[in-house]
Parts: sequence; C-alpha cells; structure tokens
Amino acid sequence: MEEYVLICEDSMDGILTGVYEAYQFKKNRSIESHDRIHLATSEPDVYRFFTEYHRIGTDHTKAEKVTDTIIRQLGDESYYRLSMTMVSCFEDKADAVYHTIVLGLSTHDRNITDRLQDDYVHRAFRYGRAANNELNRLREFLRFSELQNGMLYAKIDAKHYILPFLMPHFADRLPAENFVIYDEHADLFGLHPSFKQWYILQGVEFDEGRLQFSETEEAYQELFRCFCDSIAIEARINPKLQMNMLPLRFRPNMTEFKQG
Amino acid sequence: MNHIVESTTCSKVMNKKENIELHTANTQTIMDKLAILTDAAKYDVACTSSGVDRKGNGKDMGNCIAAGICHSFSADGRCISLLKILMSNECAYDCKYCVNRRSNDVPRATFTPDEICELTMNFYKRNYIEGLFLSSGIINNPTYTMELIYQTLYKLRNVYRFRGYVHVKGIPGTDPMLIQQIGYLTDRMSVNLELPTAEGLEKLAPNKHRKTILTPMRQIQNGIVQGKQELALYKNAPSFVPAGQSTQMIIGATPESDYQIMSVAEGLYDKFGMKRVFYSAYVGVNEDKALPSVHTASPLLREHRLYQADWLLRFYHFRVEELLNEKHQNFNILLDPKCDWALQHLEQFPVEINRADYQTLLRVPGIGVKSAQRICKARRSGTLNFDHLKKIGVVLKRALYFITCNGKMMYNTKIEENYITRNLLAEHEKLPFDRDGMTYRQLSLFDDAQENVDLFGGNKIMMTG
Repeated sequence: MEEYVLICEDSMDGILTGVYEAYQFKKNRSIESHDRIHLATSEPDVYRFFTEYHRIGTDHTKAEKVTDTIIRQLGDESYYRLSMTMVSCFEDKADAVYHTIVLGLSTHDRNITDRLQDDYVHRAFRYGRAANNELNRLREFLRFSELQNGMLYAKIDAKHYILPFLMPHFADRLPAENFVIYDEHADLFGLHPSFKQWYILQGVEFDEGRLQFSETEEAYQELFRCFCDSIAIEARINPKLQMNMLPLRFRPNMTEFKQG
Repeated sequence: MNHIVESTTCSKVMNKKENIELHTANTQTIMDKLAILTDAAKYDVACTSSGVDRKGNGKDMGNCIAAGICHSFSADGRCISLLKILMSNECAYDCKYCVNRRSNDVPRATFTPDEICELTMNFYKRNYIEGLFLSSGIINNPTYTMELIYQTLYKLRNVYRFRGYVHVKGIPGTDPMLIQQIGYLTDRMSVNLELPTAEGLEKLAPNKHRKTILTPMRQIQNGIVQGKQELALYKNAPSFVPAGQSTQMIIGATPESDYQIMSVAEGLYDKFGMKRVFYSAYVGVNEDKALPSVHTASPLLREHRLYQADWLLRFYHFRVEELLNEKHQNFNILLDPKCDWALQHLEQFPVEINRADYQTLLRVPGIGVKSAQRICKARRSGTLNFDHLKKIGVVLKRALYFITCNGKMMYNTKIEENYITRNLLAEHEKLPFDRDGMTYRQLSLFDDAQENVDLFGGNKIMMTG
C-alpha cells in the first residue's frame, strides 16, 4: 500500500503546519487512515519505493490554527508536553507528535499524553522528557558573568532547542537586568533588556573573545569556587555521584569547574 | 541597583547599604571569611530550596519555584542549592560533636550583614544559588545571635529587595518575639533536633535541652497554621515561614536504634507538621571520650536506609510500625526497606497491575511514585502488559516477583521469601556511593550491630523536598 511522507521545517511552526497539511492531504486524497501518512523534519537518507514525498512550507496561520485546536481539545498541559517534543533533537519527533495529536483528537482524550502504551505517544513522551530534562538542567547549571556595562552574559550548549523556554524563567527572576543567553549549539541569542519583553536573535556576528568583564566579576567567580570547595565534606567525597548528578557535558560553561 | 527604601521603622543603619570591601587590607578577606564560614556550615544537611512558589514581581530580583532548584553538586555529590554559611563560627556552647565548639582551636570569623547580602545578591544574579541558608554559632547568647540574623534578613529583604529563597536556623532559647519577626522574612525555618533522644542530647550537648528545642518548633508550627488562616482572610497578609519547617538529627554519634530514630521522625511529621526531617551521618571531627573515634567511617549506608524509610513515610503511605518494631529494631543492610517489607508480607502479593489501587501499587518494589501515577493514568485507556510497564519506567527485574498483568506473572516464579531474596540480592542494588563500607570483608563483621552501624556508608541527595 502506498505511503506518504510530508517533509516540514524543523521548528514548532514547521511541524504544526505539517500536521495541518497532513489532515488536508488525507481529506483531499481521500486516504482512509492517518497511518499511511508520516511527517518528517528532514529529507530521508534513503528514499523508499511506493512512497510519495512532499515538501511543506511553513505557514504561521496554519500553525496557529493547529495550536488553537490542540489547546482547546487537548488542554494546555498536552500542548506544553507536545511543544517539548517538537523542540527536542530527535529525527522522528514530528511523526510522533502528529500521530499523538491524531489519536488525541479522535478519542477526545485530554490526557492523551498519559497513554504510554501507545507507541507514538510513548515516543513523543520520551523525546519531550529529554528536552524538558535539559531545560531543567540548564535552569540549574547556567552561569551568568557580569560584563563591564553591567549586562549579564551566559553561554549554553543545548542539544534541544529549549532557549525560548529558558528565557521566561530568567526574565521572571531578573526583571531589572539586561541579560543575554547565547546558545552556542543553535547559534542563537536570547536577549532580555531591563524591564522589557525578551526576544530571540539569530544570525549575529559574535566574538566571545572580545567580551569585557566587570571589575568585580573575577572576584565573585573566585568566591564561588572557594564556596564550592569548602562546602564538600572530605569524608564523603564521591566523584561518581557528582558525575551522575552533574554530567560532564555541562561543566565547560560552569564557573565552578573553570580554572580561576 | 538603587532602590528607594521606604521603611521608617528601623534604625538608619539597617536601611542603608554599606559598601563592602572585596579586597580588604584587614587580615581577613571576604574570601577567608567565606572559606571559614562555609566550612563551618557544611555539616548541616538541610539544603533544599523547595516548598514555596513565588513569582517575580517585575521589579525586584528573585522568585521561588516550589520544586526547588539545585545549582551545582559538590565533590561529595551533595547538591548546592543555597549559599550555606554561618553568620559566625564564634560559639559560646561546647557541644561535643561540633567542630565549632568553644573548646576547639579553629580559625574564627564573623560576617557583617552587608557582606552576607552582597554575596547573596551577586551569587544569585549569576545563577550560582537559589538563595541563602543562614545559621550561626552562638555569639554571647541565642537572642543576641538571632538579632544579628534578623538584621541581615531585614536588610536583604527590604534594602537589597531580595525575593529569592531564604532558609534560617532557629536557635533554641531565642526570644519568641524575635522568632516571630524572622518568620515573616524567611521561607523556611528549622530548629535542629541535633540528636534523636533527650539522653543523647544531654550527653553530647550540655548547653542544649530537649525542651528548649521543642518550644520554638511548636511556636513555628503554630505560626504557620495561624499565618495560613490570616492569608485566607486577608490576601496580602505577610506569610509566615511559607515553605514550612524542617529539622535534622545526627545519626551514629549516640546508640539509638533505627526504630527509635524513625519513631522520632514520624512524631515530628505527625505532631509538629514538619516538611522534612534530615538525617546526618555522623562525621567524627573531635576527639572525645563520649564520641565514636574520629577514625570511624561515617555511617553512610545507614543514613541512606533512613532516608529511604523517610521517603516511605512521606510518599508511600507507610507507618514506622510496619517497617520496624521492638523485635526488629534496625533496617536490613542488604535490602532497601520497601523490598524488606514486601518480603515479610508476601501474602499480599502478587498484585494485579490493571486493578490494584494507587496505594497498593506504591508498595510494590520496583514501582515508584512516578510509575504508579503513570500506571493509573495509562490504564484508563486500555489494559497494560509487561512491555507497557517497561516503557512506563517500572523496574521489572525487581517488580516481577510481586505483580501480575491480566492475571499472569512475567515468568513462572515462586513466591517464596528465600528464593526472591536470593534473586533480588543478585541484582545489585544501585547505591549512590561506592567508596565506604561496602566491601564484603566489612559485611562479614556484621554481627555486632552497634559497632557495625558505623562501618557502612550511604548517602542520599535531597534535591527536592
């Protein structure tokens, strides 16, 4: 039986547009089941026989319509979980999201993301959990440094595209600060001007080496390293446990693991 | 950060930021003080930032997240959530187990309120910490010391306008008025029980008395209850210790049994409305004939078992009487308390995953709070099999002896204590430590409970309370 693959852009709006187009596609072509339609966020390595490939352009109005439907029919919580899946870094995430939505809408189940015995739902759950875990980790492990002009600067290296979810957390706790979070992996900047709305900036020339840090920055970094050293109890030193709790990959950007 | 200061009730000094010197010509730099006063505070275990949700107000720095946030993990694997320091390690008391006791010759230091505020603000701003944990040695007397702590918190909240998390130690014997005042500035307050029993306390902490410890605990408990009623009436009433109170006791310095310790903990949860009880494996720092030798290994495994049991009390609906009793006074070193319980109660198993209620599921080894919740949610939309359970996150190699799916067990296994025990022991329990006390040589010494209690290690990180 013939299968159809819709290839959409790798972004939340891209995937949501893909979901919209998949429903349209099913209707227009009178395909009897969603099972024969798949979403992908990149071209396949190998093109299969008996499969039609279509490329979908991102359309923000269509994406918004799908968002509205999800929130209305499946609830905020489901939308948040699906969002985390959509920003995760896994290749087949779009298909998992699409089929989870299909199942949720067809069964009118607001708790669709709890139905872990379903394969698509389980995959969406796993991917979303991975992204959400990284988001939580970066809330903990992100470190700001103070620049000469008083601005705070942090660099992260996130596997998943979680910067837009990280920004509100810091905007809420540091409303008066000008701060910027640079996601090295995605080459994106999250900017928060003092007492203003934050935004994301893409494609800016940036040379970290030219940053000038404030006079007291070094002193506070040194103080924090001193604190972290002094707080450990010698009789309980346990690097393996420390590694489990704080994986090595986060450490290059963390003040306490840098040499002063 | 120039904030206008409105309060007029306090003295001028308290309403003004004073410049602190990051590099002083003094003999003690901030760095020296921080090293001394962090080192002096490190044995305190209660370092969580959980229990209160407070959004930012759009002006001042800080918010609080109910689940708590750990910002780092020190070399011992414990979480760093708060700037955990003492105001001063000068101390008028002479508690035998304490590194800061009067009779010890250690470097002493005292922070000024501004130093603490600046450190807190600057660490918080850089996302190093979630807030401040402030305790202190006794300078002159308890009330005088708490007065200094009050000044610090007042400044931090009203002058530096800090909205993040604050945890403060209540010193027994402080003027109740002062405890009341501090309660409105802090998120969590804790009074240390120090040792599980009054006899232990008398022996090791001659300046402290059980009664003076319980008095402020009761006061804080009443304050919290009253505060909640006021909040229900007046939306803007200031909240009193909104994240609740906790306490901690030292394990292994005195000869109490696990049964005694857990009964005390249960009493604290039931009668004092504690949010958390922390157990701190005794680390020998002082030579004293009343204490175990300083070379005794810290009882980390015992501490680990106590935390596991504490979890069973708080989240798994267990009672101490179910886990331990007069005859069975200590936890099994080889098995976690839940497995141990299940093996003693095989008549209640196996349970059917698709029908058993939530509380029954919680009692199955290998099923935690999260997987029990997921099972309850998932089975609403269809029956579950073993493959589904695996996806849900159930540890099947432990659970398989205790469950059925649609009436079938996973394998054809005997439900027989020795057989299951052997199999569970073959699956090595993942302990969060591997250095201390877990070699077979030491396990063979296990005959003398008292002596060996000190041989085993264990350690559990409290990320969230």
